[in-house]
Amino acid sequence: MEKFLFYAFALLAIGSALLVVNLKNTARALFLFFITLFGMAGLFLFALADFVAITQIMVYVGGVLILMIFAFMLSNKALLSDMQNISTHFLSIPNWQSLLLSLGFLTVMIYGVITWQDQMPNWILENIKTGDIIQATDNNINQLGVKFMTQYVLPFEVISIFLLMALIGAAHLSRKEEQR
Amino acid sequence: MGALFNISPILASALVVVLPFIAFLYQALRGKKSTSGNISLIAIILSAVISASFVFAEIWGHTPQSATYNWFTIGTKTFTFGILLNNLTVLMQLIVCVIAVPVHIYSRSYMKGDNGIHRYWMYLSLFCFAMLGLTISKNLLMMYIFWELVGFASYLLIGFWFTKEAAVQANKKAFIVNRIGDLGFLIGIAAVFSTFGSLDLVEILGKDGLFYQGIDNNTGLMTIAGLGFFLGAMAKSAQFPLHIWLPDAMEGPTSVSSLIHAATMVAAGVFLLSSLFPLFNDNVLVFIAIIGTITALSSAYFALGQYDIKKILAFSTVSQLGYMMVAVGIGAWDAAMFHLTTHAFFKCLLFLCAGAVIHEMAHAKAHSTTDYDPQDLRNMGGLRRQMPKTFILMTVASLALAGFPLTSGFLSKDAIVISSFEWAIDKGGLFITIPIILVLVSIATAFYIGRLIFKAFFGEFRLDKSLLPHLHEAPKTMLYPMVFLGICSLFFVFSWNPISYHGAAILDGFSVAYIFKEIHSLHIIVPITLTITALCSWWVGYRWYVLDKYPLNPNSKWITAAQHQLGMNDFVNNKIVKGTLTFSNWAYLFDKYIVDGLVNSIGHIVKILSQVASWFDKYIVDGLVNTIAGTAYYLGHLLRWVQNGRLQNYLGFALTVVLIGIIYLIIR
Amino acid sequence: MITLTHFLVVSACIFCIGLYAVLAKRNAILILVGIELMINAAILNFVAFGRYDKINYGGQVFALFAIVLAAAAVAVGLAIILSVYRHYKTINPDNITDLRD
Repeated sequence: MEKFLFYAFALLAIGSALLVVNLKNTARALFLFFITLFGMAGLFLFALADFVAITQIMVYVGGVLILMIFAFMLSNKALLSDMQNISTHFLSIPNWQSLLLSLGFLTVMIYGVITWQDQMPNWILENIKTGDIIQATDNNINQLGVKFMTQYVLPFEVISIFLLMALIGAAHLSRKEEQR
Repeated sequence: MGALFNISPILASALVVVLPFIAFLYQALRGKKSTSGNISLIAIILSAVISASFVFAEIWGHTPQSATYNWFTIGTKTFTFGILLNNLTVLMQLIVCVIAVPVHIYSRSYMKGDNGIHRYWMYLSLFCFAMLGLTISKNLLMMYIFWELVGFASYLLIGFWFTKEAAVQANKKAFIVNRIGDLGFLIGIAAVFSTFGSLDLVEILGKDGLFYQGIDNNTGLMTIAGLGFFLGAMAKSAQFPLHIWLPDAMEGPTSVSSLIHAATMVAAGVFLLSSLFPLFNDNVLVFIAIIGTITALSSAYFALGQYDIKKILAFSTVSQLGYMMVAVGIGAWDAAMFHLTTHAFFKCLLFLCAGAVIHEMAHAKAHSTTDYDPQDLRNMGGLRRQMPKTFILMTVASLALAGFPLTSGFLSKDAIVISSFEWAIDKGGLFITIPIILVLVSIATAFYIGRLIFKAFFGEFRLDKSLLPHLHEAPKTMLYPMVFLGICSLFFVFSWNPISYHGAAILDGFSVAYIFKEIHSLHIIVPITLTITALCSWWVGYRWYVLDKYPLNPNSKWITAAQHQLGMNDFVNNKIVKGTLTFSNWAYLFDKYIVDGLVNSIGHIVKILSQVASWFDKYIVDGLVNTIAGTAYYLGHLLRWVQNGRLQNYLGFALTVVLIGIIYLIIR
Repeated sequence: MITLTHFLVVSACIFCIGLYAVLAKRNAILILVGIELMINAAILNFVAFGRYDKINYGGQVFALFAIVLAAAAVAVGLAIILSVYRHYKTINPDNITDLRD
């Protein structure tokens, strides 16, 4: 049952991702990107990262994607024609060089994964031996809060400042020319 | 006056040469305005007087004099010009002057009314200048220049009536034939110069000359020099086979023929050989003698068959020149000069008489209804009644030519014939044929000149008798010079002894040492033989031509052959002239197709080569450069395409490299 | 039991799809989507490996950091896209070739 769900989510994520990159209509692709992100969030759950899955949905679906759609609508003058473009070609023609390169990378990565799947890193083997692996019953959120405030407080602060800077920068970049 | 008489012979002789030149310049400048010829006449008379009184009288029998002036320098050799006065040159100069004066006087009436008479005087003065200059030249180069000038003046005078086709052909022929001789002369000069390093006659042949300092004249070079000079003399003095120009040269005015082509210029060859006599070695001398004999015989034979009065005289001249050549060849060049002198007078007289006859015949022709050749013997006859003085003078000249006693010709001809006999006996063998031929020629000479006299002056007039009243004695201006020449044709001018030539002043003046012994018996036998045979031949001629007992077939082969000069002219025209023309055509074609063709084909090949080179340059060299440049360009273009500014491409390239790197790491 | 290999294979697939989107798409926003896909693939790897690290919780913490960074990147990227659009009147990266020689 668990495996079946995993495969379903994986299939959902990969299939929707493929559709995202192959659709001609950008608006449709962006909406399909929701599905992909949902699928990915589902996959996170199988890795026992429930807080990350929630954050994924909140940040991506709630923030990033809405931002993208806004940006798309702001930027694309041909949006209307694009939206109405019920093209005879539902899918865009794949760019063969890029496809070749991507497939090359995929081959190399799959090859790597399959080659090294029997040679787990030592720290994983040790943690499995000592039982220091996350269990489904663990209180992840509690643990994460503690870790952020103790062990990872410096990266947390740095990323906060960075986020602030990025927001200011984005706001600065996207303001009107005349106001400069 | 005393100072005038004291001018040096050198200056006087120079004056003799320059005076006709001044006359020539005057005539040339005045052109048609001066037709009288007074200036030329005065100039030549003055020349003659000066030559006789200040040059001949001073030098003859005295020490030779010479003057030399530097002309130009080539390298270390200085060429000089100068005047040489010795017995030979002053005699020659005097002869030229003395013959020229009567001819000038004669010409005044003979050429009267001619359209080109101003040219006539101009050319005549030019000729006198050149001939007089030739006689006293000290330097061979200078002599050569005058030699050429003489030939040129002769060319002009032969072609004097240049509207006549025959005259133009004749002067062309004379000029071309003379070129051959001039070439020989030039070869001789070159040979002499390379042997002695000098062209000065005194330096070479003078008493202390280079020639007597032990130079062997039997070398090949000296033979070549001798033959070269003889070739020059052959052309000028009309020796066989180069004599062909002289009969044709009779196309010129008769007075010109008498002066140039009988008395003076044609004798220049003999004069040249005489002045250069020591240079000739035995081989050359024998050759000269043989050629002279052949010339004498052949032209005497040709003279027998001619009908043109002037041609007979022309061949006679050639024949007599042959005599002189024989004299030079046997070493008796004093005899040659003696004969030259006597011949100059009587042959000039013969021509002038012939001229007078022709003049009258042509004069009568103006009244005639029929056209005839005034020079043809067959149209004459019985003229002694109309022109008795001319007849007497011509008879005197003919007797001199035939060598009758009491005439000058008797003395000089005997000198030659007797010397040749002595020489031949001294040499022995086949050489005896030469004097025998000379005797035969002498008989033939007597016969043909007798034929001329009988045909022209005896018998009946052969043309319309109504023309006879128009024929009368020549004018006085023509007659007086003839009388003067007639007197000069007699013995006492040259020697007081009419029988023996030994008293002749000219022979004494040269005092040549003969290499052969004197045989006294010959001095009696030969003159008697010659006289008797001549008388016999005259008797035969009289019977044949006057009494009309002509025994021979006029169309016989021998006579026709003589008339046509053994076909020599035809031979020259057909073979040599046409051969030359054909050859020049061939040469032209050769030049056009082979030489030009070669040049053109070389040019063509070069053009093709250059085209190949151009192609090579364009496609190979340039192509290489262009290929390199193009490769660089395409490489750059390829790399430029990489740098196309598209971020995705950049990323793609970067990732490709990363992928390749990873694959390399995997399969390493 | 879902093994690590399963996650790695799936994340590789997602990564390559993102890579393809980045390389091939002719729309700047879709390129940004491709980048997000690749980041998501990375996050999946983080959480997958983070499962074996109960002591530090590094995988999940850095997955969270990555999500934040991706959000910031998207914000800045979209701002840049807007600027580019205003400047060039297009967001097709093929038409923006100012980097060309």
